[in-house]
Parts: sequence; C-alpha cells; structure tokens
Amino acid sequence: MNPARVLVIVPAHDEEASLRATLEEVRALPACAPAGASAGAGRAAVAGGRAYRVDLLVVDDGSRDRTAEVARAAGTPVLSHAVNLGVGGALQTGFRYAIAHDYDVGVQLDADGQHDPAFLAALLEPVLRGECDVSIGSRFVTPSGYRAPLARRSGQRLFAGLVRLALGQRIADTTSGFRAYGRRAMEHCQFDFPRDFPDAPLLIALARRGFLLREVPVEMRERQAGKSFYTLGRSLYYPYKNLLASLMAWLQRPAAL
Amino acid sequence: MHFLSRTQVIVALGALGMALLVLELVRRRRLSEEYSFLWLVSTALIAILGFSTPLLTWITRVLGFLGESSTVFAAGLAFLTATLLYVSVRLSRLGYENHALTRELALLRHEVERLRGPGAPGGAPGAAGPGPAGRGPEAS
Repeated sequence: MNPARVLVIVPAHDEEASLRATLEEVRALPACAPAGASAGAGRAAVAGGRAYRVDLLVVDDGSRDRTAEVARAAGTPVLSHAVNLGVGGALQTGFRYAIAHDYDVGVQLDADGQHDPAFLAALLEPVLRGECDVSIGSRFVTPSGYRAPLARRSGQRLFAGLVRLALGQRIADTTSGFRAYGRRAMEHCQFDFPRDFPDAPLLIALARRGFLLREVPVEMRERQAGKSFYTLGRSLYYPYKNLLASLMAWLQRPAAL
Repeated sequence: MHFLSRTQVIVALGALGMALLVLELVRRRRLSEEYSFLWLVSTALIAILGFSTPLLTWITRVLGFLGESSTVFAAGLAFLTATLLYVSVRLSRLGYENHALTRELALLRHEVERLRGPGAPGGAPGAAGPGPAGRGPEAS
C-alpha cells in the first residue's frame, strides 16, 4: 500500500506574526516535505499501521497583512481568497485543493500556534486505520491545564450536550479546530460546509450522514499571536446561529451513503 | 364620498408614477424583470384597493378592520414583509454563490501561478512582487 498522502491545511487570516513559526514547526516533522520541495517529498512515517507523508498548504483568507508572503517565503503553496470568507470557507478551499491533488487526509491546523503538530500522528491514527472519517483533537478527553472563561465554558457544555443528544455520542470538544478529515468526508465537505464556524452543527450533520467521528486527546497551547476569533458581537450571534444550525442538521433526514 | 374621491386621485397618480418608475428601471436594466413583477403586481393591487371603494369597504368589513385606510396600510405592510423576506432569500443565495466563486478563484489563481512557474511576475515561490499577487483587479 502506498503511503497515505496527508495535507495539513492552515487557514490564516492576518496571521503574519505566528504563521512562520507554525509552518516551521510542521516542517520539523520528519514526514513533512521540506520547504519548496515537491509534494510528498517527506520521509514516510507510520501511524495506525499505515505509512504517510505530509504536505503543507496555507489558505490565506483575505488577509490584509503579509500572511501570503510569509507563507510563500516559507516555500508553502498558498491559496489566497480575494475577500475574507471565515474559517469554514478557508477549509473548504483546502478540501477542494486536497481532492484535486489526490490527498487521502486533510488536517486542519490553526496558524496561531494553538495546535501542536506533535499530536498530528495521534490525530491521524484512527483515520489511517479506517476507524473513523473525522478525528477531532480534543482538549477535554484527558484533563489539561486549559480553562476557558465561564461564558465560553457553559457554551461548550451546551453544544457538547446537544451533540450528545443528537448523536448519542459524547464529543466533549465541539469547537476544536484541530481535526483530520478522511477522503470521503472531504469530498462531502467541499460542497456542504458551514460558512463561518465548523463546530457542533457540522459534527451533527456529518454524523447524520453516516460519517464516523472520533475524539483524540491532545494538549492545546495559548495562541501565540493575533487575536481571538470571538468578539462581543459574535459571542451574542454565535450561540443563536449554532443552536439553529444544529437543530437544522439534526432534523435533516439521514442520507444513506 | 368626496374625501374618498380625492384619495382616489392620489392613489391613481401614485400608482401610475410607481409603475412608470419600475418600467423605466427595467428599461435601463437597473432592475431585473423578476423583481419588477413583484413591484408591478403590488402597485396594481394597491391601486385597485384604493380605487374601488365598494371592494375596499367590503374587505375592511370582512376582515374586521376599523377603517378603510387600515386595510390599505395592512396590504402595503404585508407586501413589504413578503418582499423583504424574498430579498433576504436571494441575498443568502448570492452569498453562497459568492463564497463558492471566491474559493474557485483562489484555486485557479494558484494554478495559474504554478503553471507560470517561479520567477514570473506574480509567480509562486520566491516572487518578490508588490503585495499578495492579485489582491485587486489591477493585478495581472
């Protein structure tokens, strides 16, 4: 069996301050192709009993700063959105690229340094083993030092509860952006994906369509630079939007795959 | 009766002006035929309501409104609400299409840069072009 082709997709919106360090960190993985090298040039590593190689892709989501140049200087392919679409849109572009270039797995890894590439192998394991379609790097499976503000914590509880109610499966960290998507999941998501936050509604929609989800314990770090996606205005709109979208995803008739 | 006939004149002029405006916008291609239909039908409806006193009085009685003017206002409001909802639906669809186009554009731009090869203006790695390649319509 050929080594699986893994594409690490880094959505970046005005992340020039932290992007270089993030890219270098991924590059430091032996499985990752060196800067400027052609795709699949890394040394094959093994996870879940299957060899894999890693390539990098930056999706510059309408940045006004030097994000795209930082990525180019790091020898990484860059896809630039002319306008800002949000995390969901950036990922969707990444999925389309991954499918067009025949990747088996797409991994979302944030540019701000929250996601530690050291956990990439753990994240890939269940997907490469074929045990699930989407694996989610979770902060809450094992206790970690991470503690969110009260409002956000109760929100996380609410949506974790909703996902559990809808799917009968416990997914503690519904907002984690550190995920690996298998080929079939990417093929579905390239056309049907939340525009802004790929959170609880996405998980419910995917599971309702028969995709298997799995949580993998990871540790997350504080963001190294840039500002959080969540502002006051969004923090009012977000719960409403997510609640509505979750219900809609839940009501959807499960489609046979 | 005298009061209503003056109203009739106002309604007639208003409806006529509105219809002409809508048709003129269509002629100049500032308004699509699809939306003009909505506006013309509503204008005609208001005109009929405002013009035919017996009809208006009858509807008012049937619906239990206090006065004829309430009926006209209610009809106008109902139309505006429906239009706004329709426009929201169209806007959402436009947004989705816009998103899809932006994604496709990013993929195509990358493909063009790759085919041009490094070194070419706006080319992929190592190109020291001014700003991100193609940030505006002026980039080529």
